[in-house]
Amino acid sequence: MHIPDAFIPIWQGAIYWIIALVFVALALRWARNEMSEEKLPLVAVLAAGIFALQSFNLPVSMGTSGHLVGGALAAIILGSPFAAVFILTLVLIVQGVLFGDGGITTMGANIINMGVIGGFVGFYSFKGLMGVTKNMPVSGFIAAWLACLIPALACAVEMFLAGTFPLQEGLVAMGIYHAAIGVIEGIVTVAAIYLITSVRPDLVDTGVKTTKGAGA
Amino acid sequence: MMDNKTFIIAGIIIALLIGVVAVFLASGDPDGLESTALVVQGQKSITGDTPSDAEIEEDLNGKFAYSSPMPDYSLGESMGPAGGLIAIVFGTIFAFLIVLGLAYGIKVAGKSTKPNQ
Repeated sequence: MHIPDAFIPIWQGAIYWIIALVFVALALRWARNEMSEEKLPLVAVLAAGIFALQSFNLPVSMGTSGHLVGGALAAIILGSPFAAVFILTLVLIVQGVLFGDGGITTMGANIINMGVIGGFVGFYSFKGLMGVTKNMPVSGFIAAWLACLIPALACAVEMFLAGTFPLQEGLVAMGIYHAAIGVIEGIVTVAAIYLITSVRPDLVDTGVKTTKGAGA
Repeated sequence: MMDNKTFIIAGIIIALLIGVVAVFLASGDPDGLESTALVVQGQKSITGDTPSDAEIEEDLNGKFAYSSPMPDYSLGESMGPAGGLIAIVFGTIFAFLIVLGLAYGIKVAGKSTKPNQ
């Protein structure tokens, strides 16, 4: 879903950058005020893991491949959508500047799609679903799937505004491909939440532990 | 319970293993956005395979261009998979360090401005 420079005119990229910077500022405030020092290792390990997982493109049929984005994972594990903005912004900077994965002028749009929309959709749908189902794997899978699909649809709209894709065709194709890629997002997110809560439940803010106890 | 040091080392090793496996096993098919670009440009049907000669046409008019030092997570054709490994290992460790450094810096800066907390 990494938009390259060639897909958005510079002036539109600048608008997305300005919007993204507002959320980046809020994410920095989150890091200063909300992120506890004990969680620093988790935040950094999550960034390394998300970077590595993003390089692992898996086939999803239809001549297409996809990988974990990680917005839902970061937000759910660290208990705030701004954690996703914080981590994804830095991962996207490394990817764009060093590896040409995602553009420079389009980085703002990529931060909005994967960090902001992915983080918020993933976090709040997980919270809502946990309240209803009390089931981490089900809630995590659906939340992560939505956190892949909805940013992709937002990306299709941005591509339409940029004059790169026609609206309907772009929405349909982006929707179909990311509905498939979202399955990867769901499985990997649930597996990672399970793994991290197993070894360091104290670092995790998902409410999974509390809910398990309360639901017994 | 796993201590911080073990957690970090285990996490980094898992991340590096994923990255190393990715260099050899990652699919070469276009991602969802690239596939959509090929669909709207009439080079691919939505559910069909991607033709091997399919190439995204880019309108660079009014667009920014940038050459990254390690494009496509490689160090160029001549380096082959070794270049890919170096790029992924470097990127994974760099992502870890930059996030740890910034997060730590923010906490330290936050503390010095708010000595009572």
